[in-house]
Amino acid sequence: MFSKVLIANRGEIAVRIIRACKEMGIATVAVYSEADRDALHVALADESYCIGGPQAADSYLNEERIVSTALVSGAQAIHAGYGFLSENAHFSQLCAKNGIVFIGPAAETMERLSDKTTIKNLMADAGLDVIRGTDVLESVEAAKQAAEQIGYPVMLKARSGGGGRGIRMVPSENELENAYTMAVSEGEAAFGDGAVYMEKFVYPARHIEMQIIADEAGNVVCLGERDCSVQRRHQKLIEESPSPAVSPEQRKRLIERVTAAVKSIGYVGVGTLEFLLDKSGKFWFMEMNIRLQVEHSVTEMLTNIDLVKWQIRTSAGILLNFAQKDVALMGSAVECRINALSTGKLNMLHVAGGPSVRFDTYLVQGVEVSPFYDSLIGKLIVRAGTREEAMRKMKAALCELVIDGIKTNIHQQLRLISEESFMNGSYDLTFMEGR
Amino acid sequence: MPILDFLYKPKNELEKGGRAVAPVQEDQGEPEKECPNCRKSIPLSRIWANANTCSCGFHFRMSARQRISFITDKGSFKEMYSDIVSNDPLKFEGYAQKLETVRAASNENEAVICGTASIGGTKCVLFVMEPNFMMGSMGSAVGERITRAFEYATKKGLPVVGYTVSGGARMQEGLISLMQMAKTSGAVKRHSDAGLFYLTVLTDPTTGGVTASFAMEGDIILAEPGATVGFAGARVIEQTTRKTLPKGFQKAEFLLEHGFADAIAPRRYQRSLVAMLLKMHCGGEQA
Repeated sequence: MFSKVLIANRGEIAVRIIRACKEMGIATVAVYSEADRDALHVALADESYCIGGPQAADSYLNEERIVSTALVSGAQAIHAGYGFLSENAHFSQLCAKNGIVFIGPAAETMERLSDKTTIKNLMADAGLDVIRGTDVLESVEAAKQAAEQIGYPVMLKARSGGGGRGIRMVPSENELENAYTMAVSEGEAAFGDGAVYMEKFVYPARHIEMQIIADEAGNVVCLGERDCSVQRRHQKLIEESPSPAVSPEQRKRLIERVTAAVKSIGYVGVGTLEFLLDKSGKFWFMEMNIRLQVEHSVTEMLTNIDLVKWQIRTSAGILLNFAQKDVALMGSAVECRINALSTGKLNMLHVAGGPSVRFDTYLVQGVEVSPFYDSLIGKLIVRAGTREEAMRKMKAALCELVIDGIKTNIHQQLRLISEESFMNGSYDLTFMEGR
Repeated sequence: MPILDFLYKPKNELEKGGRAVAPVQEDQGEPEKECPNCRKSIPLSRIWANANTCSCGFHFRMSARQRISFITDKGSFKEMYSDIVSNDPLKFEGYAQKLETVRAASNENEAVICGTASIGGTKCVLFVMEPNFMMGSMGSAVGERITRAFEYATKKGLPVVGYTVSGGARMQEGLISLMQMAKTSGAVKRHSDAGLFYLTVLTDPTTGGVTASFAMEGDIILAEPGATVGFAGARVIEQTTRKTLPKGFQKAEFLLEHGFADAIAPRRYQRSLVAMLLKMHCGGEQA
């Protein structure tokens, strides 16, 4: 096992990783930006180094400074959490070149799995349903033909588009010609590239993701699903496990397929496979996340398996000491993300408590919430025997949570989980539309 | 100083098992190139994926073929006049040998590539100079190719887009290469008289006889960030005039400030900018 690990991240995830390390007896090295000098992760770690200015490019994204800090402090491994450098193949490679273990996939695996076509082909070969795209469509006629084959509704996507731009939904054939012309001219105007292709549009749908963990010996365990359908502009707000929309039979089948698929690609560590669940009960594979996710804590609460510890262990070559049959997906866990809606100084913090209530945060009284980073300031997670009880617990915990001095979305979260369609579990990705 | 100062540290024994260290992986990865601006080593694939630029904004030089694939609509480029090549008319010492070496090294037979292409859906005549061929120096063949490209564009009523990179006129061809300045300028004038649009993009470096002729004759002149553009070299000017030159002299930004360029066009939106300008000047009809 590594005796010293550098945490190349900030906020609640840095705190989470340092806590895991402390329990494992691993010494910790924190890096921080000038804006974070008062932060909790800096105080918690055994050693802390300021590596640059508040802009992420100067600090948390500065590969050279982070690797230098690891070398100088004698850290044997780097954990990058989520975001920042966690999916950066070049950084993973840089660590390897300097004899430092990157806790996550090797550069080569990262490059292979982050290419959308490659991963889709791999997953299709492993028997999962994937959302297929066409090649570039040369004309309206070609688009019409493709749409007939795929079946309406379809999506037209600009080849050079990204970040939600250059996408058009086409509900039926009458609107195709118009949409095609618009998509081409929009693509040309916005990206200088009028090439468009077509994809099946799964709508309405739920966002279901499967958590997996795998070791070097090829053991793969699936820790069930998370339903992350409460999203606003692709930002998840509430996550729960198990999903009220997935039946035990569906879950069993999906776990089998996912496990087989991950075995076939030879992956080590924690990972998540994202799916869209359509109305007919079919799961469409979208992509694989090759890192720890923000909402990993929901699965931890449900399964009692410490994903961060196991991520570190598998990186050190330790094999899983549990198998699929040992994983009990009993009860219900739900997470509300607490986001800052303003910046400022935290005057007072009171954290909700009681059995099976967890609040992962970097907040301490007096800390400054700066405008430089993500607005996530904490994650409130509860677990109970039934979904109904979990929701009751969440409502009580949200009401008890006091964050004074900074505007937060606590009240909004309380409203959302009290909504009829959330309470009865029938919500999907349209839940936040128009809010 | 953090707000909290914890009094105690847990003294947990280190978990057992597994490895502690990774072997230092020899650099069998892809080759890297150091950015002269920020001094970082960047893998070539990342440089290429960003149109030969560094994340710090530095623009590396680009070969003509690379530029063509970067700027034109996929598969639309059709090369013309590739059979026109220089042939040592003055029997200049070592020139024939030099041509042979450069041709082998650059895989091009001259310092400019001309042809027709469409950019963002608008058809145009395109010429792109090649820095790896005697630093894009202008000999008789370069002048002839560019002249013919303009004549073709005039005949067909097409706009011309030109990417310049050049050390100037080709010394080894003496006066013949200097004559190309007048010849190309004449062709540009006739193209202009026909009411047609000519766009130049000055890239690093554009100097000498090329600057003094067709490079600066565009209706719109764009320049890449940091490109050196000038006639005589800065050191020559300094030694002749015995004056210290201002900071950033002959750089694209300096040109913009002094009215010699219309805009700086970073590569990340160069293609869309060129496409837009072409479309505007062609009335958007061709698309």
